[in-house]
Amino acid sequence: MLRKYAILLAAVMALAWSSTHASPEDDRMAFEKYFTTKFPEVPLNDFQNGIYSVDPVARADWEQIEEFPPYELAVDAGEAEYNKPFANGKSYSDCFGDGAVRAQYPYWDSERREVITMELAINECRTDNGEKPLKWNKGKIAELSAYMSYISRGQAVDVKIPEDDPEALAAYERGKQFYYTKRGQLNFSCFDCHGTGAGKGVRLEKLSPALGHTTHWPVYRSKWGAVGTLHRRFGGCNRQVRAKNFKSQGQEYRELEYFLTYMSNGLELNGPGARR
Amino acid sequence: MKKYAISGLLVLSLVAGGASLAGDEFEAAWQAADDKRKEAAGMQSEWRDTKKMLDKAKQAAEKGDIDTAMSLVAMAHEQAADGIVQAEREAVMWITRVPR
Repeated sequence: MLRKYAILLAAVMALAWSSTHASPEDDRMAFEKYFTTKFPEVPLNDFQNGIYSVDPVARADWEQIEEFPPYELAVDAGEAEYNKPFANGKSYSDCFGDGAVRAQYPYWDSERREVITMELAINECRTDNGEKPLKWNKGKIAELSAYMSYISRGQAVDVKIPEDDPEALAAYERGKQFYYTKRGQLNFSCFDCHGTGAGKGVRLEKLSPALGHTTHWPVYRSKWGAVGTLHRRFGGCNRQVRAKNFKSQGQEYRELEYFLTYMSNGLELNGPGARR
Repeated sequence: MKKYAISGLLVLSLVAGGASLAGDEFEAAWQAADDKRKEAAGMQSEWRDTKKMLDKAKQAAEKGDIDTAMSLVAMAHEQAADGIVQAEREAVMWITRVPR
C-alpha cells in the first residue's frame, strides 16, 4: 500500500518537475498535438470553428446559419457605436485606430503588471474619455467587441509572454493552473470537458475541442439570443460544473484568457461566431 | 385562575427560551458554515450553491422553521468543506492533466 503511494507521489513530482520546466511554447505544441492526434481528420486551422470542426451534422446546420449570420445586427450596432463620438469629441478610434486590433489582445502590460483584454481596454477607453463603463458580459460591449473582431478576421492569434518578465510568465502559469484544476460540485476542470471530453456528448450537445476556443469571440449564442463575451461563457462553464463563477474581467478570467488564447497562437481569428 | 395564568406564563417562557436557544445554535452554525464558505472562496474553490443554501437557511430561520434552516446550514457546511478538500487535492493534481 505504502509502495503504491510512493510511486504515485513520485509520478506527480516528476510531472510537476517537467511542467515547471516546460516553456509556454512547449505547452502550446503539446496542446496542439493533443488535439491534432485526437482528431487527425481535422485540418489545423479548422479548429477555429470549435465544435463544427468535429461534428459534421452540427456543421451542416451552422453553415446554413452563416448564410444569414445572427451576429450581423450586433456587428452593425457595434460599428455605429464605434464611430459615435464621446461627449468630449473623441471616439474609440482615438484609442484603437481603425479598430482591427483583436490580435493584439490579450497582452501583458509590463507597467501595470496585469493582463489586458480587449473588453477591458474598451471600457478603459470610455472611462479615460469621461464616459461610464459598460457592463462586461453583453449588450454594447459585446457589440463593440463583435465589430472589432469582425474587422480583425484573418489576423493570426499572436499572444506574447515576454521572456524577460517573470511576472508575465507567472500570470500565464496561473491561467494554466486554473484551466486544468477541477472545481465545483461536479468536480470538472475546463480540460476534462474540452480536452479529454472533446467530441463526446453531454445530453444533446457535443463538447468542443479547446484548441481554437478563443478565436471566434464574442459569440452569438441561440441560447442567449444575443452576442456575449468570452468571460460570460467562462462564467457559464463554471456554473455548469456547479462552481461559483468568478467576476468577468477579474484577474482569474483575464489570466485564463491569456493562457487559453496563447494555446491557439497561429490560428486565424474568425469572430464573431454563431453557436447554439 | 391565578394558578393557570402562572402555568401559562411558565410554558410560554420555556417555549421562548427554547426558541432562543435554537436560534443561538442556528446563528453559530450558520456563521461557522459561512466562514468555511469564505475559506473555500479564498482558495478559488467555492461551489455554486453554497451561498444560496445559506441564504435559504436564513429565510427558513426567520419563518421559525429551524429544522429546515439547520439542515440547509449542514449541507452548506459540507459543501464548503468539500470545496476546501478539492482545492488542496487539486493544488497537487492539476498538473497531471497537462498534455505532454
